[in-house]
Amino acid sequence: MKRFDRQSFLGSDSDEVLDGATVGLVGLGGGGSHHGQQLTYVGVGGFVLVDPDRIDLTNTNRLIGGTQADVDADLAKIEIAARLIRGINPGSRVKELKSDWRLVLDDLKACDVILGAVDSFRDRDQLERFARRFMIPYIDVGMDVLELPDSQFLISGQVILSMPGGPCLRCCNFITDERLEREAEQYGAAGGRPQVLWPNGVLASTAVGIVVELLTPWHRAHLRLIYMEYDGNRRTVSPSHWMTALEHRECPHYQPAEMGDPDFDVRRLVGPVLPATRAATFKVGA
Amino acid sequence: MRVRFKITTGLLVSIRADLGRSHPFAYERVGFVLAAAARSASGVLVLAQEHHPVADEDYLPDPSVGAMIGPEAIRRAMEWALMKKVCVFHVHSHGGRGIPRFSEVDVRESAKFVPDFLKVAPQMIHGSIVLSEDAAVGRFWVFGNRGPADVNEFVEIGDSMRKWGPS
Repeated sequence: MKRFDRQSFLGSDSDEVLDGATVGLVGLGGGGSHHGQQLTYVGVGGFVLVDPDRIDLTNTNRLIGGTQADVDADLAKIEIAARLIRGINPGSRVKELKSDWRLVLDDLKACDVILGAVDSFRDRDQLERFARRFMIPYIDVGMDVLELPDSQFLISGQVILSMPGGPCLRCCNFITDERLEREAEQYGAAGGRPQVLWPNGVLASTAVGIVVELLTPWHRAHLRLIYMEYDGNRRTVSPSHWMTALEHRECPHYQPAEMGDPDFDVRRLVGPVLPATRAATFKVGA
Repeated sequence: MRVRFKITTGLLVSIRADLGRSHPFAYERVGFVLAAAARSASGVLVLAQEHHPVADEDYLPDPSVGAMIGPEAIRRAMEWALMKKVCVFHVHSHGGRGIPRFSEVDVRESAKFVPDFLKVAPQMIHGSIVLSEDAAVGRFWVFGNRGPADVNEFVEIGDSMRKWGPS
């Protein structure tokens, strides 16, 4: 018996593909902590963990792997996530970066996929822009609790896959200038927003499924844009109408000409260049 | 220095379709892929942006090779490297499946003109790619005519993500 026998339908080489993948997890709070755990169980072998925060008492209602002892020890969220990942797979490759993600861009550029579990629309917008520049599939995961009349509440959330070349978060109206402006006006006044465990789990599992579909598809998937909407009051996860509406649309917001480092100069980087494999004699393409 | 070449399935499909067109006298078609570049923790990323087929009139008759392109095609590619500040990769296809290999003609001919791109855009890396129907292989040069070296990894991003390296 092997560890991944029960998921062999993912493909004969799926163990190697997943183990060889590196996923960037930006935000390792309530939502992001599920991502590291589930992706490790599935077999993803490499992680770049990015979060500047430490665990506090209010995180212990939902942060997977977090304990009271971690609060007492004032541990960083990335340390808890790394411990969880290494506990499941001691051979995993984990880079722990207790930092704002904007300060560790070179590490994130090397990722195959980035999962963002960040709080603000500004972060989402900038993270997607970054991922587009370096041709990295970006999955945005988030939840919110909205107050309704009569002291009722609505739990909602989303998982959006933004693929290089496909429609983006702006195309599906999730990021808008108005939303960004409104958020900027309220900056610093928000306080702790409501967050609970179970929507994070539902959304994280949905996102993890998308990562696996991307890396080792078990069916003919069409992953140009995935936008799943979570309604916690109806207990449903449904495809957004934007998936159909944007199926054949080009993204006007991100252009290929914007890719890469604008100041790239290989002369500042180059180390030894290994010689190319000697060409064997074979049919001449000519 | 590790080089990872990333390209969307959409761009790859359009390149393969273009290279599959017949030419009035050449046995095969060639083109140029323009790409951005970036530094990363694991080396250099080459990010394919667009494909430019070599124009019909820029092929030269030479029955000893699959395709011989003239100086105007090379000049135009050098102009892109200079003006757009991009990596330029010569591209053609060997068809078939699996990871292809460079032929002796490919090796000899690309070494004649690819390093010239470094004269106009020494800050970038330039090279040559051979496609099959489901994979690719590449080599590159950097300033000081250092190279060629193998592209270490290709990443195709579309409905799924595929990665492969030299066989």
